[in-house]
Amino acid sequence: MSTSFENLSVGDTINGPTFDVSRESIRLFCDGSLDYNPLHLDDDYMKNSFGKTNFGGIIMHGMNNFGLITRMLTDWAYPAGAIQRRLETRWLKPVKPGDTIQPVGVVKSKQLTQKSRWVLIDVLVRNQKGEHVAAGEAMVEFPVASPVAA
Amino acid sequence: MTQAPAFETDFWKDANLRKVWDEIVPGEPRKTIPYKLTLDAIQLYCRSVGEDHPLYFDEAYAKQTPYGGLIAPPSIHILLMFACTPADDWMRTPGTINAGQSWSYNKPARPGDTITLQARALDKFIKRERLFVVHDNVFFNQHGDVICSGRGQTIRPA
Repeated sequence: MSTSFENLSVGDTINGPTFDVSRESIRLFCDGSLDYNPLHLDDDYMKNSFGKTNFGGIIMHGMNNFGLITRMLTDWAYPAGAIQRRLETRWLKPVKPGDTIQPVGVVKSKQLTQKSRWVLIDVLVRNQKGEHVAAGEAMVEFPVASPVAA
Repeated sequence: MTQAPAFETDFWKDANLRKVWDEIVPGEPRKTIPYKLTLDAIQLYCRSVGEDHPLYFDEAYAKQTPYGGLIAPPSIHILLMFACTPADDWMRTPGTINAGQSWSYNKPARPGDTITLQARALDKFIKRERLFVVHDNVFFNQHGDVICSGRGQTIRPA
């Protein structure tokens, strides 16, 4: 059954894509995002401590999580004619080369407003150990009429 | 309307020109640069996160959807944040740590759009000995339509 506002229930899950993190994937994200912060490039620099934190090597961009969560949400929303309207995230743990991460979503609530219909989704990114590396919340609009995208 | 010079990928190069936490004034606009968003730039970003939806790659498909043509994924603001700011912007300071972001989406960005950014630090504070700055940002297309708006927190290098 395809996704629609009517047939969604609180607790429904969305499984996002798995993503293998490597030095190459991080480098490609530098090129894709133009974020060349040495946090993501420079092993010598990453021997330093940042405040009380020592990462012990280069780390993935936090926004790579954000991009992956977005991919999950839009791949889920587009076929239903729904539109991703908001995403809020925070980072819980650094992600490093060799990790495999996967975003998941859980429908938290549905809400009608004067002119539209909304679904709130809790989102989470896990690594291969099951640890939570990012968390947040998304808001997807299911327009009543056919969506006016442009 | 000027285009950015070739993008400087060495973030150390202009490090001494960038404001440190002490110098960042909440409320003061950041310098920004209009940016012509190309299909190549959209698709390079897409590949970096494994985006393969035909709305970003297949024009014939995209034309038949309500979008009427190719678009960029909502998260394209990740690229736009760096594309629309100059080399001395403090977001590039080595060691800047992203602590979380929230974004609202209005209209999709499209290949060929000229994107402008209005951005500022909105607040700064110290928490558990860490130096935080809150940044707030709105991206527009060449028609003056809001594409997306967002807020985030970074931890500044001490």
